Amino acid sequence: MKTLIAVPVVVAVVASALASEIHAPAQTSAGSAISISTGGSGDATFYLIGPASATKKKVQAGSDIGVDGDELDNSGRYIAILCASDGCTSTSFFVNPAAANRLGLLVHPSRVPTGKANGISTVAFVFDNFHNLVLKPQPIKFSITPKGGKEVSASRESQNGVAWVRISSANKEGATKIGAEIGHADEVRVVQQVAADACNLRIRASRAKENYLVETDPVRDCSGNSVPDGTVVSFTKTDSAGKTTVDVPIKRGVAKVEMPVQGQARITVASGVVTGNELEVSASR
Amino acid sequence: MNAALRYSLLAITFAVLICAAVVLRLGASAAAEVPHVEFNADNVGPREIEDLTSQSIPRDYGFAWQTMEQALDENRGGLLDGYFTGSAKQDLKARITSQVKSDLHAHYRDRGHKLEAIFYAPAGDAMQLRDHAQVDVQVLDGSKVIYEEPLNMEYMVVMTPGADRWLVRQIQAVPGDKP
Repeated sequence: MKTLIAVPVVVAVVASALASEIHAPAQTSAGSAISISTGGSGDATFYLIGPASATKKKVQAGSDIGVDGDELDNSGRYIAILCASDGCTSTSFFVNPAAANRLGLLVHPSRVPTGKANGISTVAFVFDNFHNLVLKPQPIKFSITPKGGKEVSASRESQNGVAWVRISSANKEGATKIGAEIGHADEVRVVQQVAADACNLRIRASRAKENYLVETDPVRDCSGNSVPDGTVVSFTKTDSAGKTTVDVPIKRGVAKVEMPVQGQARITVASGVVTGNELEVSASR
Repeated sequence: MNAALRYSLLAITFAVLICAAVVLRLGASAAAEVPHVEFNADNVGPREIEDLTSQSIPRDYGFAWQTMEQALDENRGGLLDGYFTGSAKQDLKARITSQVKSDLHAHYRDRGHKLEAIFYAPAGDAMQLRDHAQVDVQVLDGSKVIYEEPLNMEYMVVMTPGADRWLVRQIQAVPGDKP
């Protein structure tokens, strides 16, 4: 009777000792090779399913399976499966990002008016060499170098792989370099700072045969930067014939237009939301 | 009488075919159902989320999961073009390419997502989110199920705006919730 009980128990113990098993480290770093140990014996199939891969290979159950670092480039959850004659068994593990060594930099906008407070948004995403987002806090150095000016920098610590700053644009127009740096890696974007809205817009009028030639002084913003050619200036004339508005682009720094005048006329000028001086002219002069 | 019988048989056959087509169609629709996404943007910053964006994000994220699940099940990388971009699309396409090589595919039963916005860029050009996803996953070698498990997963997600929708640019599972 004892023998009858003992034999199946021994068989069960031996069978469980030979059953397929698979063990992997709970966590590893992206790009690092690991070894996955298996139990059991005989021919088996090993599967490794990751965020960007799904591989299958024949193995011998009971041996260790080497997984190369380049099979573990992507951070995330991996499933290792071993299928043998007695069925399939699996384990899962996480691949964490490697050391931070790259930045993705978003700078917006690409053109900004001078003197705009918090006008430039800069966001840095922290990656490792395999483009995995590094979630552990990392110090990021942001810098701004205006044209012909000195670099100004500020440090921010990333949270969940992101760091950001808002930067005010300088008073001088020109290309400004916006940079972010982590370790040996840096990224630079160029933002073109352009003149802001016109400031102290002034016009003068002179007789040109039957008409008046109305012309602005050189159009500049409040910091003295020339407002770019092509910016529209609106001249409005009000006389006995009614109200007429002419839109003229700035050319070589000034905007000018010839206007016929009937009797007394009032001429005003505007560019965007900025208005300038008014002129009173007469057709008889 | 024979003619009546013949017409009756034809009508019955036709009805059976219609029913079969409807059943198949319903089955296909169920597989491609948009998962439920519960969205929370209470703690997002520095930019405040716009009303339209708070509707677009969960809708587009749900569509992204729907297409991803279908793509991984049917090994159709082209399905990813609609709602994925950048490294997320590249990685998932690589996964599908290797699934095809190994004759593998993955079947998902999506039990829903709790999506939390944690960062919205000042210029509105990127949003980072955390997703607590509940999915039942099966991995199949041909038609043989080699792995199945109900999972509670946490993902870190970056979405960026496209022409008419938000696209998943980065989706990375992080250690957090356990099965």
